Amino acid sequence: MRFRDLAYLVVSNLARMKLRLVLTSLGVVIGTSAIVLMLSLGIGLQRNITAELGQIGAATHINVMGGVFGPGMNEPKPLDDRAIREMESLEHVDAVMPAVSVTNIGDVSYKRYTTFLMVQGVPMEPFQRLGYEIEAGRLPRNDKEILLGAAVPASFAAGFGPQGAVGGSPTPDLIGKRLDVTFFEYPSDTADPMAMPTESTRRLTVVGLLAPSDMQTDQSAFVTLEAALEFNGVTQRRATYESVIVKVDLPASVADVEKVLTDQGYYTFSARSIQQSLNATFLIVQAVLGALGAIAMLVAALGIANTMTMSIYERTREIGIMKAVGASNRQIKRVFLGEAAIIGVLGGSGGLLFSISGAALANLFVASMIEAQTSGAGGGATQSSFFHIPPSLALFAIAFAAGVGLLSGVLPAMRAANLDPLTALRHE
Amino acid sequence: MTNAVEVSGLTREYIMGGQPLQVLRGVDLSIEHGEIVCVMGPSGSGKSTLLNIVGGLDRPTAGAVVVEGEDLAVMDDERLAVYRRRQVGFVFQSFNLIPTMTARRNVELPLLFAGASAAERGERAAAALESVGLGARIDHRPTELSGGEQQRVAIARAVVGEPAIMLADEPTGNLDTTTGGEILALIREMNAAGRTFLITTHDRAVAESVADRIVHIVDGAIERIEQGGTS
Ligand SMILES: Nc1ncnc2c1ncn2[C@@H]1O[C@H](COP(=O)(O)OP(=O)(O)OP(=O)(O)O)[C@@H](O)[C@H]1O
Ligand SMILES: [Mg+2]
Repeated sequence: MRFRDLAYLVVSNLARMKLRLVLTSLGVVIGTSAIVLMLSLGIGLQRNITAELGQIGAATHINVMGGVFGPGMNEPKPLDDRAIREMESLEHVDAVMPAVSVTNIGDVSYKRYTTFLMVQGVPMEPFQRLGYEIEAGRLPRNDKEILLGAAVPASFAAGFGPQGAVGGSPTPDLIGKRLDVTFFEYPSDTADPMAMPTESTRRLTVVGLLAPSDMQTDQSAFVTLEAALEFNGVTQRRATYESVIVKVDLPASVADVEKVLTDQGYYTFSARSIQQSLNATFLIVQAVLGALGAIAMLVAALGIANTMTMSIYERTREIGIMKAVGASNRQIKRVFLGEAAIIGVLGGSGGLLFSISGAALANLFVASMIEAQTSGAGGGATQSSFFHIPPSLALFAIAFAAGVGLLSGVLPAMRAANLDPLTALRHE
Repeated sequence: MTNAVEVSGLTREYIMGGQPLQVLRGVDLSIEHGEIVCVMGPSGSGKSTLLNIVGGLDRPTAGAVVVEGEDLAVMDDERLAVYRRRQVGFVFQSFNLIPTMTARRNVELPLLFAGASAAERGERAAAALESVGLGARIDHRPTELSGGEQQRVAIARAVVGEPAIMLADEPTGNLDTTTGGEILALIREMNAAGRTFLITTHDRAVAESVADRIVHIVDGAIERIEQGGTS
């Protein structure tokens, strides 16, 4: 029997039972959809999350905050120089860098450009050991010098900030240039909440530009720790830092070190732990989809087996006729296996179509959620598709559904093939 | 020169309620090329059983069946299917056409399982239907055909693969006398062109109208063989 003729027999047999065909493949549609969505979620996350997390920070960095206030919480553990020395002595820790953000900073302007900057005071020696690379210039040495993140010159040009009226200007070369930085000082000895702050301006020289790294770093500027403390009006002796960055030797050490720090009462976060908790969340979603898919596929397989058994019973006499005119057991088996496989393929294609449109809708929904949450916050770099269906997954889905159909058809097809021709011919 | 069919010591037993039931008990029969042999006997005498064993649809309990020099006893199921495809053309009392297929598709079926190309199948099926006088009904389904026409389609299907032997089990059993007569005339015509037939019937008139020899079976054994009235 030629393949074309086998296909003809299979298709014309299936064409006779359209309704039953549709109902039976519906199970496969559901099963395939659940499985494809599960896998596409996994693929989509792998593709995107890692890229997105790169913006939070490097894979070997842990951000440590002082302890968390709140009912049932411990007293916040102060992040001071002693705490930093303790952290530095921990296993796997390469460097610890405290950071003091300059809180009372206002506009930063250069000529007609104005922008708004997050300015961090950091000790320069651990700053280097954390792995930040300088693209041009050098590190600040005194409280008159400032180092800019990779995206800052462009933010001048884009005209961020309240007076951002010069958008679209060419990115200025700022190395060696002086920036005017506005500081506010709130009178500390008055009880009047409405008291107006006094403004002062300092000139800082841009001495260096960082190479692009994570998003937060790219949009920050850095001064020496002493400068930041001075800007904030704090003396170093009593300093507690609001956060420090701990660099560990390997990404694999992050979890261990983070655990030690949390046990000591610090609040920590890292790209790695966020990734892990995200993965855990999505793993649950995937597990639910996977279980749903497995159950649906199993039910679908039983449905196919049932439909095949019924249609073989109804066509018993026909099988007898085919055997009488020379069909071999193997040929009969192929016809029914073919029918079962086609039911699988139809269901698989339906499921694939369904999951492609489902994934597109879900991606659209997630994108609009993210947009709603981040609207106005600038950034807007989120172009994530959580569900991703590559061609290989589509092919796999169809093949898998065909395989499920084929497998479900094995027993009924064997029964059909092994029917005694005379018994089959006598069947009415 | 060998005979078309050589049956010797053929026994067929069924086990019914633990007891062996002998349906055929030592049948010896040879059929020459170009011969029409009719098997006659009362209901339950084993006519169909004999025919089915010769056609490779059933297997003997003991004894040998050799068709065109091929011993059916040594064939497994696959080879027996190939044997049915190449050497045998079945015609049944109840026609046994596939109701969803047109006359042409029904007639093509044996060639399809034999792996013939669509073009060859179409040509040969059309020729076979032409030869049974149904050239104009080629695209009709069985439900659109009379009993006699359906039996002609069945005969076309049996003959299309050029088998060594045509096996017809009560081919006129479901037809009125006139229509049955037309079928018998068709059989004679094919026989004149060289086809060999083994036909069962319990109608003496049928046997006498076509048979070269009439084999009388009673209780699974040949009682006597009678030379027919034709040729
Ligand atoms: N599968 C079977 N199991 C048990 N007994 C069977 C089976 N098939 C046939 N028989 C018995 O074998 C005997 C012969 O049957 P067979 O069909 O060959 O008779 P027949 O001569 O063709 O009769 P009829 O003229 O009614 O067609 C019958 O008694 C029948 O009951
Ligand atoms: Mg009979």
